[in-house]
Amino acid sequence: MTNDIKGLKDSDVALIIGSDTSEAHPVISARIKQAIIEGRTKLIVIDPKEIKMADYAEIYACQRPGTDVAVINGMMHLILKNGWEDKEFIKERVEPETFEALKSEVEKFTPEYVEKISGIPAAQLIDIAELFGKAKVAGLYYAMGITQHTTGVDNVRSTANLQMLCGNMGVSGGGVNPLRGQSNVQGACDLGGLPVVYTGYQKVGVDAVQEKMEKFWNAKLNNKPGYPMTVAFDKAFDGEMKAFYIMGENPMISDPDLHHAEAALNNLDFLVVEDIFMTETAKLADVVLPATTYAEKTGTFTNTERRVQILNEALCGPGESKHDWEIHQMLANKMGLNWNYKCAEEIFNEIAAVTPSYAGMSYARLGNQGLHWPCPTEDHPGTPVLHVGKFAKGLGTMFAVPFKDPAEMPDEEYPTYLTTGRILQHFHTGTMSRKSEGLNRLAGPHVMISVEDAERIGVGNSEDVKVTTRRGTITTKAFVTKRIPNGTAYVPFHFWEAPANILTNNALDPIAKIPEYKVCACKLEKA
Amino acid sequence: MIDQSMIDKITELKAKYPKKESALMPALMLAQKANSNNLSEEDMEKVAALVGVTSGKAFGVATYYSMYNAVKNVGKYHLQVDTNIPATLMGALKIVDYLEKKLGIKEGETTKDGLFTLSTVECLGSCGTCPVVQVNDVYYENMTTEKLDSLISSLQEGVMPVKEVNYNFGTECNVLLKNRGLENSTSIDTYIQTGGYKALEKAMAMEPQAITNEVRNSAIRGRGGAGFPAGVKWGFLPKNTGKPIYLICNADEGEPGTFKDRQIMEYDPHLLVEGMIISAKAIDSNLGFIYIRGEFEWIADILEKAIEEAKVNNKMSDIDIIVHRGAGAYVCGEETALIESIEGKRGQPRMKPPFPAVEGLYGCPTIVNNVETLASVPFIIDKGAEAFKAFGYENNTGFKLFGISGAVNKPGVYEYPMGISFNKLIEAAGGVKGNLKAAIVGGLSVPILKPEELNNLNMDYDSCIKHGTGLGSGGIMVISDEFSIPELALRTIQFYAHESCGKCAPCKEGSHTIVMILKKLLAGHGTIKDIAKLEEIVNTINNVGSTLCPTGQAFAMPIKAMIEKFRDEFTRLIK
Amino acid sequence: MQITINGKSLEAKKGQNVLQVAIANGIYIPHLCYHEKVGAAGKCRACVVEIEGMRGLQTSCSVPVREDMVVETKADTVLQAQRLVVDLMLSSGKHDCLSCEQSGHCELQDAAYYLGIERPTCQYGDINREVDETSEFIKIDRNKCISCGRCVAACNNTVVNQVLDFGYRGHDTEIVFNTDKKMAESTCVQCGECSQICPVGAIIDKHAIGLGRLWELDKVETVCPYCGVGCKLNLHIDRKSNKIVKVSGVEGSPTNDGMLCVKGRYGFDFVGHEDRLTTPLIKEDGQFREASWEEAIELVASKFTSIRDEYGADTIMALASAKVTNEENYTFQKLIRTGIGTNNIDHCARL
Repeated sequence: MTNDIKGLKDSDVALIIGSDTSEAHPVISARIKQAIIEGRTKLIVIDPKEIKMADYAEIYACQRPGTDVAVINGMMHLILKNGWEDKEFIKERVEPETFEALKSEVEKFTPEYVEKISGIPAAQLIDIAELFGKAKVAGLYYAMGITQHTTGVDNVRSTANLQMLCGNMGVSGGGVNPLRGQSNVQGACDLGGLPVVYTGYQKVGVDAVQEKMEKFWNAKLNNKPGYPMTVAFDKAFDGEMKAFYIMGENPMISDPDLHHAEAALNNLDFLVVEDIFMTETAKLADVVLPATTYAEKTGTFTNTERRVQILNEALCGPGESKHDWEIHQMLANKMGLNWNYKCAEEIFNEIAAVTPSYAGMSYARLGNQGLHWPCPTEDHPGTPVLHVGKFAKGLGTMFAVPFKDPAEMPDEEYPTYLTTGRILQHFHTGTMSRKSEGLNRLAGPHVMISVEDAERIGVGNSEDVKVTTRRGTITTKAFVTKRIPNGTAYVPFHFWEAPANILTNNALDPIAKIPEYKVCACKLEKA
Repeated sequence: MIDQSMIDKITELKAKYPKKESALMPALMLAQKANSNNLSEEDMEKVAALVGVTSGKAFGVATYYSMYNAVKNVGKYHLQVDTNIPATLMGALKIVDYLEKKLGIKEGETTKDGLFTLSTVECLGSCGTCPVVQVNDVYYENMTTEKLDSLISSLQEGVMPVKEVNYNFGTECNVLLKNRGLENSTSIDTYIQTGGYKALEKAMAMEPQAITNEVRNSAIRGRGGAGFPAGVKWGFLPKNTGKPIYLICNADEGEPGTFKDRQIMEYDPHLLVEGMIISAKAIDSNLGFIYIRGEFEWIADILEKAIEEAKVNNKMSDIDIIVHRGAGAYVCGEETALIESIEGKRGQPRMKPPFPAVEGLYGCPTIVNNVETLASVPFIIDKGAEAFKAFGYENNTGFKLFGISGAVNKPGVYEYPMGISFNKLIEAAGGVKGNLKAAIVGGLSVPILKPEELNNLNMDYDSCIKHGTGLGSGGIMVISDEFSIPELALRTIQFYAHESCGKCAPCKEGSHTIVMILKKLLAGHGTIKDIAKLEEIVNTINNVGSTLCPTGQAFAMPIKAMIEKFRDEFTRLIK
Repeated sequence: MQITINGKSLEAKKGQNVLQVAIANGIYIPHLCYHEKVGAAGKCRACVVEIEGMRGLQTSCSVPVREDMVVETKADTVLQAQRLVVDLMLSSGKHDCLSCEQSGHCELQDAAYYLGIERPTCQYGDINREVDETSEFIKIDRNKCISCGRCVAACNNTVVNQVLDFGYRGHDTEIVFNTDKKMAESTCVQCGECSQICPVGAIIDKHAIGLGRLWELDKVETVCPYCGVGCKLNLHIDRKSNKIVKVSGVEGSPTNDGMLCVKGRYGFDFVGHEDRLTTPLIKEDGQFREASWEEAIELVASKFTSIRDEYGADTIMALASAKVTNEENYTFQKLIRTGIGTNNIDHCARL
């Protein structure tokens, strides 16, 4: 998030697009609902599902899956046409040529044209653009509904375009706010868990960076960026990749096209999995290393608003399980490196020393409130809102984003849109949440289908449905609801009994290499 | 069944109020009426969604007000017998007995054929014409066993008989009851013929401040019970807040023993309407509400018709008046509870401050005045403050309606100047029936007085205070020696326990505990300790005043007085 | 500004109410409906005090401080009124402290203790309301409910799930779920905010019942392991059994201000689950066998070394984790980059 959670209440208008907030980020949804019932904020929801948050919205619009670029371009078209853009912000803070390019791109996205693509009625788009465009401060909130597309980068750029156009960057309550889905997904990115960067997004292959890191670590480093995971799976499938070391992840549930993923892992010479349970992925491993959970360790997580917060060890791990860092240290020393960390805090101090955005942080300073990065010096208060006054890179870049269809569209054989995501009661691959009998009793595998589709295929609520795509079939219970439009089906991906990712398409965004979990074509049948 | 026409009606209701949530109560009532007088869970949920509130809110409202049949099922004819104090004093329990035997059911039950449900209910605001049986929306007053026989047989044939109207009244002042007894007294023509709307004409030419000054100079004190000077209250409104100002007429007449406001609304509605239009001008309000207790359904209709007539006759160019029906809750007579009720909520008092004049309905400055107060305004404007002050005496000015019920020969409503002696009033009401044991002179919530205390009593604020009681709403209940005070005490506290809104702990649990203690005493199982506990509770609540609203003192004061003045009747219960 | 409470001059800020100043200065005034998060309700009437120049007793939760205000919290009339209220509450419910889960953490118990009420004296009727145990994680015992309204305010205004409300009237007043449905059949999402804010034993975390009183447990503040909001939570730990008994949200935390979701509050079974991995495992002939750390580490290190030497470092891929700490992601990528010599490191940020 460019902005912080507390500042949510400063939004005059909030736009939620591609986030089932009350299911996936319940506490943030509570903050937004508070602002709504207190009369501070008006909400716009754009989502193919009529999510719970739609009940609180001034306007709810249902777009066809995968048409976000068209919708946002359409909003910008109307905002420009009516002069609701923030002219001063654009003049002061945006590269003029990129603004011109954007302007000419959105020219053709009239409400009528957008209606044809997205299914959102022209009149409704006009209302949305007016409410959003006239707002003093509008915040934009999204999750994987924006990113998990072959046009994921296009979608993200569109959200940034919109927020720059309306001058909503660098102000409390504004911003582009991806709601991060996992406890430390932000931290994993910040700490160099990416193939192209070291900690704090210092780029691999840049001479100065290579030099700095080699010196700091006293090691010779590879200057070639690595492969993203999705590509690595393909390479493993092809036999090019020989070994995988997987820590605390379960791609055998979370990867697209699981048949493909399983074949890839089985094709490896050597697979190591470090985890807390014998996950679906661990079962395929050659060596499994037992690690500890959040309750058993000290360390830090960085949350969705870039706030670094301390975890305190509460319990002893079971048996001979070890902290992940202890395992890494044992391996490092076995491989001839000379590591000697005594505790997590010592590692954190090393992180601060090498990571500019964390440089001013220490456990003492984090205390019980934490700090937002960037926090470059020991007296810096942290940065709840990014891009105040100026962008890190100087002038902001807008992108002219043309609309593209998703990789796989419904056709005669597979006539229904399939989209996937989360539900409140479970988390990600279920490694943690599915161990709770209580949570399991509250929610099990299902497919959400519309009343019309249910009638068409002749199933009632809780009856079995077969969902088939070009990649596979699952059978699961129907959840028949008015909240999903005719022609769209929704499957939560937490359940090994009916894994949504047997069905999903592993077509990737060309830049981010993110798979298109949110759109593919399926057919529904009575089982 | 909620069909399209009802959805349309609910949509209309939502548009009628400044905030849509206010439509909840009338919408729930619509749904109930369309479903043989029962409110189903499904309908509650649907209404909630249509109005835009949570289903919990709808349920909370539906189970707060006694007129919604949300968790009880009632038959085609719901016979509701008022058994409050005045009714009890006038034979209501015999009516209940008779109905139980006749219908073969107990109170609270429904006949097997689903035709009749028999309930006992609290004060129906019909104390002068007790016993009263309310059948669905209709009051059948002055009931006797013979009349019951013909009522039941008519209902068995599916016919709601025409109700008989036969009230006693008398007036020495000829203001508030001036048109009482005239043919077509409710029509605007009659009203204008007898000099109505002249005050409005005069007021239209006055500055708002001049109207307020006149009312202030009249020194009229609020006729609802608290006796706060109306003109002073108006002066509390903050200036230039940018928010609308609302005028609310409190017509939730529910204090047992009180049935005076109804006389004005039922027989001379334009007097109130004119009073409201003038008062609204004085306080710069464009929207007024009449909050009328739900049981007075037909009177609400009369008021709506009068408002319509006034509009047609161009009397209401700057103001609209909405008649909002309550649904059975005594506490809504408290002004903040009343405001909550108009907002579509459970009618529970708010914390004060802020006071309504600063932050009232929908958070806006609001003035709440009683019917009788507002109905006195046309006289004050037309004839002037001095003419008003010619009635009564200093600090106790003007004319006043007194409702007299219980053991008198001609129970009814009588209009006299403030300060009229108690004895003279009783004389006007035909004298005491039987031997006078005691009287409660200001509605149920004031301390009871013994005959020796009544001798020199004048009916005004100061004299009542001097005699250790209160003028309250001017509802006089006369008690003859046929009745036991502990039993009346139980009946009294049962009323308050039934009506306690349940918001604050001392009232909610205190009233309930007093009921339990008195029941124990009356059942002959009590000890001296129980009487001590009883006194401890009422003394603490009365002396310390620890409840959220005046209801705590409203029950603590009378019970305390009953124990103190008739202690031997209580101690005699201990075996 | 300065105000005086019980003869002591105290610092107060404009906008504070009398109760807040008392609490901040360690002066106890019984209060059962007021809670910092939901504000004053004026319902319980237990927080009454005497204030010079004001008629009758005042609820300290609702009176804003004024310069030089003089407050008395221990006057006889104050204690008399407080005693009546607390006695009535104790009398009208089944507050069986001996077995109540909330004992030692109960605000009604604290008030009774302060006022020296040994046993309720107003018990005249039967108390027999149905206990609702239908919900997976939360037990509702209306026999212990004092109608303070905190849960209703919290459900409607804090977490804004809008399930709880008050139904019925007077002594019959009860908290209801939607249209008085059983909790499990209601729209409740079991976030547990109501249980966290309940001052008595009426709303209780079901799975913690009988596992230890709150004061017997150690409290450790940490961060929720589920989504990316980073809710701060307290783990209430039984040291003897090395188990989490209960989880509560950290009030005042900038991320969640005490709020949690059903997973964060109740979904902690996995930590102490019997299926946890407790020892390294090595697969032989398709079967896992237990191994020592030394053997496992030796095997992994030698395999990685030989693959790197034979096929090159870039044929090894590492997946970091969005569920482990910053420190552990750091050591992991450092190991991969310096030990193996590849930048093939990624995690499932996209999945």
